[in-house]
Formats: sequence, C-alpha cells, structure tokens
Amino acid sequence: MRHVKILEYALASLLRRPGKTAAILVVYTLMIAVLATVLLLTHALKTEAVNLLADGPELVVQRTMAGRHELVPVEAARTVAAIPGVGSVTPRVWGYYYDSLTEANYTLQGVDAADSSLELLDGRLPQADGECAIGAGVAAVRRVGLNDDLILIDANNIGAIFTITGVFRAESRLLTEDLLVMPTESLRRFFGMPAYLATDLAVSVRNPNEINTVANKVKRLLPDSRPISRKELLRTYHAVFDWRGGMLLALFASALLAFCIMAWDKATGLSAGERREIGILKAVGWDTADVLLLKAWEGLAVSLLAFLLGFALAFGLVFWWGAPLLGGVLRGWSVLFPELRPTPYIDLYQIATLAFLTIVPYVASTVIPAWRAAVTDPDEVMRQ
Amino acid sequence: MRYLVFALLFCSLSAAALAAVPPPEEKDRCAVCGMFVAPFPQWTAALELKDGRRFYFDGPKDLFIGLFDLPTYFPGVSAEQVTGVYVTEYYGASLKPAAEVIFVTGSDVLGPMGQELVPVIGREPAETFRRDHAGKALMRFDGRQLIEIKEQP
Repeated sequence: MRHVKILEYALASLLRRPGKTAAILVVYTLMIAVLATVLLLTHALKTEAVNLLADGPELVVQRTMAGRHELVPVEAARTVAAIPGVGSVTPRVWGYYYDSLTEANYTLQGVDAADSSLELLDGRLPQADGECAIGAGVAAVRRVGLNDDLILIDANNIGAIFTITGVFRAESRLLTEDLLVMPTESLRRFFGMPAYLATDLAVSVRNPNEINTVANKVKRLLPDSRPISRKELLRTYHAVFDWRGGMLLALFASALLAFCIMAWDKATGLSAGERREIGILKAVGWDTADVLLLKAWEGLAVSLLAFLLGFALAFGLVFWWGAPLLGGVLRGWSVLFPELRPTPYIDLYQIATLAFLTIVPYVASTVIPAWRAAVTDPDEVMRQ
Repeated sequence: MRYLVFALLFCSLSAAALAAVPPPEEKDRCAVCGMFVAPFPQWTAALELKDGRRFYFDGPKDLFIGLFDLPTYFPGVSAEQVTGVYVTEYYGASLKPAAEVIFVTGSDVLGPMGQELVPVIGREPAETFRRDHAGKALMRFDGRQLIEIKEQP
C-alpha cells in the first residue's frame, strides 16, 4: 500500500514537469529503439540463415587451384559417391551475372526438373531450353512477370531470350530474391561452361555423425578439393552477421554514452526546486528511505515506459516494416535487397540484457543524487 | 537345424515387418535407460512383440541389454514373443533388422549412452568403419546372441 501511494506521488510529480519528462522519454525511447533494432535484426538474420541452410546439402565440395575457386570435374562426383555414408552427389551449375541494365547482380542456377527443393513458385519450373524462373526481386527491377521475355547477355556477348515460366514466392526471400534458374544444360551454354565441369558438388550425408569423416576422405581422395560442411557455412554466416551487428553497436556506443551523460547531468544536477521538494518532504515527516523509494519509482516509471515504447518500436521496425534503415547495413547485398520479413520472436535473454544495460544505470543515476539530498538536514536544504 | 529354421523364420518375419516400423514419437523413452529417443534419430533401435507392442531404445547397446535380460526389463515377455529387432544402420541412417547388420565395437563414435555397438550393413563398409573410427571387433546378431566374427585368414 505504501508503495502504491509513493508510486502515485511519483507519477504525479513526473506529470508536474511534463516538458522535462517528455524530453527524457523521447531520447530514452529512441536510444532503446536503435539498440533493440540492431540486436533483433542481427538475431533475425542469423535465424533466417539457419532456416535457409536447413534444406541445403550437408557437404559442398569445391575445387581450388592456386588458392582460388575452380570448376570441379563432374567425374569427381563418382569418387565422392563411392565413400560409405554418402547418400547422393549432385554436380551443381551456378554463377553470377551482372546486369548492366539494372546495375544488379543476379545469381544464376541450373535446376533439373527433378529438383524439388525450390517449389515455392508462382507458375512452374523451367523445363525446356529458353525458359527460366526468376526471383521476385529480379521481376521487380526488370519489370517483367509470368510469360514475359527476359533478355540476358551470354558468354559470347550475344543476347539470349528466355521466357519466364515462374516467379519465386519463397517464404524467406533472402534465398530467391536475386535468383534466376534455368535448366542446367541451358545454363552451361549460357555461361560457356564445358559439359565435363560443374561449379561444385552438393553431397548429402545421411548420418550427421559421419560428415567430418566424409569431408576428410574427400580431401584425401581429391587433394585439390575443399569440402565445406553446412556447420562451417552456418558458423561463417553467424560470424559475418555478428561482426556487422558489432560494428553497428560500436557506432551506437557513442549514442549510449551521450545518453549516459545526459542522464548523469540531469540526475546529478538536482534543481533547486527538486532539492527544496525533498527538503519539504522530509520536513513533513518522510523518511530518507521513502524519498529514495520515490526517486526509484520515478526513474523506473520513466525507464520502463521508454523501454516498452522503444522495444515496441524496434519490434515493429524489424518485423513489420522490414527494417528500412538499418537492414541494408546488416544484410550487405549489393543492389537487389531482399525484402526482409523475418519471423517475429521474443528472446527473453536479449530483453534482459538490454534492460540491464539501460534501466539500471538510469535508475541508479536518479537515486544516488536524491539520496545525497535526502540525508542532509531538511532545514539546510530548504534554506539554500 | 532348429536354429536355422528359427533364423529363417526370424528373417522372413522381420522382412515383412520392415516397412511397418514408424519413427519414435516425441514422448517415447528408451525402455532400458529411460532417456527420450526422438532426439537421437541416428541411433534409434526398436523391438517389436507378437502382440503388436513396440519398444524403442536410444542405441543398439541398450537394445541388447534389454533383449538379453527380458525378465528384468520386460517382465512376462519371453524370447519367442519378440518378432522384430531393429537398429539404425550407421551409414544409411535408416532402421534395419538387427540380423542383417554387422556391429562394430569399441569405436570412437559415441552414442547417447557412450560407447556403442555401431551397426553397419555389409562386410566391407564394416571394415571401413572399423578402420576409420578405430573400432575393435566385428559382431553379428543371430537372433539370440551376439557372435564375434573371426578375422578371415
């Protein structure tokens, strides 16, 4: 009951200084929103990467020469398939295409009709020569749709015409936004890639315990190869997103510092009016503990409100509006930015971290000066 | 002769029932150690009884502990009532009748319960596995017990 009364008084005293309270609230909310956006977005991107790779092959075998990625002979697929524990080996043909018209990079991938992992499609997968399916981003920048023609410049610098038989509508657009798929043989012709070569080998390993052994054997049987397991890919993605998130946080550390200075300034410099108020409260019979409680409640009320508002703002920015401001920095695609619609989630650990980093210092910096004012003699305080 | 008939009967029974072994459900526990089975799909083993009951284990080791000591773990169940014994083959990660695989002991591949009898189908893959993972002996299951496979000269 005592707490409720003190809280009531604290809220009333906040409302008595609406300008000051509003100013702090706005700055506080903005800072929390920025920090929370970075945290939420980094986590969301990492989750997207995990979801994305969940359907990928357990092992990708590339060939390297002079430390650079080389085309792998299709023959090598048979060597890899003979290793016990290997389920299937698929030579993949894919690559990049720079479209000077839209100044964007597309990812071109060869698919066989049997390929079923790309089924979220409006229309159908390309089957014949001269057909292709494109991602929603490509469709948007080239302003084409189903059954339209798409002209690309092939390896011989000759325009090739493709009929669009499908547009991807993947749930996670990170994967298909800049994608353009066509039958493997057409893509080989388009890239001028000989039939005995492929970009890499997708290897499925049935038992996850055996992936490392298979990778070691691949390395031994094909000394110029580089086996990359799904786990390693995930680790790289995590590292990249963590690094980008860390850079952003480092940039915003100055904002955090500015906020701390503001809070400190606001709190240490108790105005004469506030000091008198404390003095009067003590004179009418309040304990030092009551005054501290009052200040703590004031600080908590402002902090919690700002925290809720800021976090809600960040949540909305990231999960409904697709992070319009910071998304580009964190994702790092070149021109075709996939529209980000991550699955909303709430991570208590993140909230606790953020709350601890912001609420605790703020409350502390409001309570400590109040304590100093409260322990002095009320008569002296009021006289000043 | 009696054993041969039994083994033949056993094989045909297990072949018939092969398609019928569904994966364990989330709540299924190992009948010997009590651990949940679903998180270890590459180790799941199963025991089928004549009356249609089915028990899951989180590894071939626990399966054999249970199977060789039926009175303790399955009171009232006799060896004749066991119609199917399945283990998850290592390289293929699918359930196979225990009589069709070779078990490799002492390898560095650890299951949920530590050292395991790792089931591998075929003699050659079994030797490969023993070489790759520092296995010790090869064993096979004849429907009643595990028998060590002697080195061929």
